[in-house]
Amino acid sequence: MRVGKEFFKGLYQENPIFRLALGLCPTLAVTSSAANGLGMGLAATFVLVGSNFIISLVRKFIPKRIRIPCFIVVIATFVSLVEMVMQAYSPQLYKSLGIFVPLIVVNCIILGRAEAFASRNGVGLSLLDGLGMGAGFTLALLIIGTIRELLGAGKIFGHIILGSGYNPALLFILPPGAFLTIGLLMGLFNFMEERRKRG
Amino acid sequence: MKEVIKFGGLLLLITGVAAGLLAYVDSLTKPKIEEQKRSKQEEALSWVLPQAKDGVIIPHSLKGKVCYYLGYAHKDTTHLVGYAFLAKGTGFSSDIETMVGVDTSGVITGIRVLSQKETPGLGSRIVEAKPGETEPWFQRQFKGEKTGQVAVKEDGGEIISITGATISSRVVANSIKEGALHLKKLIEESKGK
Repeated sequence: MRVGKEFFKGLYQENPIFRLALGLCPTLAVTSSAANGLGMGLAATFVLVGSNFIISLVRKFIPKRIRIPCFIVVIATFVSLVEMVMQAYSPQLYKSLGIFVPLIVVNCIILGRAEAFASRNGVGLSLLDGLGMGAGFTLALLIIGTIRELLGAGKIFGHIILGSGYNPALLFILPPGAFLTIGLLMGLFNFMEERRKRG
Repeated sequence: MKEVIKFGGLLLLITGVAAGLLAYVDSLTKPKIEEQKRSKQEEALSWVLPQAKDGVIIPHSLKGKVCYYLGYAHKDTTHLVGYAFLAKGTGFSSDIETMVGVDTSGVITGIRVLSQKETPGLGSRIVEAKPGETEPWFQRQFKGEKTGQVAVKEDGGEIISITGATISSRVVANSIKEGALHLKKLIEESKGK
C-alpha cells in the first residue's frame, strides 16, 4: 500500500506547487503556455527521479551535518551531466527542453525532496517519490500554463480555441497573470482540502 | 578541530569526484557539441544567404579569426552576392547570437537566431514559429530591411517587437545594426590592404 501512497501523494495531497508551495519561481516564469509548462514539468521530473535515486544511494555515507552542501553538489553535477549529454546526443530534445535546464538547478523541489525524502528512505521508495512529485509538478504546470495560454492568447498548445471574437487578456501571459492564476488555484486547493477535512 | 578536517576532507572528496566526472563527460561530449554547432551554423549560413544557394559561402578571416562570410552566386567565386556575419548582443537573461545575411547594398536577406536562453514564453519567442510555419515570424520581419535603419517600433523602426519581451526584441535589432556597421568597417579595411 505504501508504494501507491508515495506516488499519489505528489499529485494532490502533497502537490509540490499547490500544497507544498515549492518551486514557485520557475513555475511563475515558464507557465506562459501549456507546451512550456509540460516541457518544464517533464524535464524537472527526470532530474527529480535521478537526483532522488542518487541521494538515496549515497545517503549512508553522508554525515548529517554536511548533507546540504553534499546534496547541492550531487544535484548540480547531475543536471550539468544531463545537459551535456542531451546537447551532444539528442539535439532535438535539447532544442525543446534545453531552455528549462538552467531553471531546474535552482528548483527547490529537487533539494526539498532530497532533504525530506530521499535522504531518509530506500532507493525504490525514493524513485516513486520522485516520480509522483514530478507528475504532480508537471500536472500543476500544465494546468496553470493551459489557463494562462487560453485567457492570454485564446489558444491551447498553440491551437486557436477561442476565435476572433475573443479579445485576449494579455495580462495572463505576463508575470501578473502567473501570480493571479497560481493564487486562485492555490485558494481552490485549500478550499477543497478544508471541505475534505470537514466532510 | 578534528571534525572540521573530517567534514572538510569529505566535502573535498565529493566535489573532487563531481569535478572529475564533469570533466570526463565534457571531454566526451565536447567534440559532438562542437560538430552540431558547426552544422547548425552552416545551415543558418545558406538560409540567410539564399542568393548564394548555387554557389559557395567562404569564411573570411582576419588575424586568424573568422569575422564574416562571403557569398558567391557561382562556384568560381567571381560574382559576389552578399555577406553574412554573426551578430551578438546581451539580451534579458542571456547572450543572443544571430546569423545575419545582407546583400551587397546592405539590405538584409535573412536572419537566424543561433543561440539564446531568454525567458521561455516571452523572450524566447524570438525563435518561435507559428503552427504550420518553419520560419519564426519575428525573424522574418528583418528580411528586406536596410541594416542602417533596422530598429524595433519603440525605437522608431519597423520591427514589431514581441509582447512582453521588448528587451529581447530590441537587442536582436540593435545587435544586427551594430554588427552591420562593424562589417562595413572590416570590409573597407580588407579592401584598403
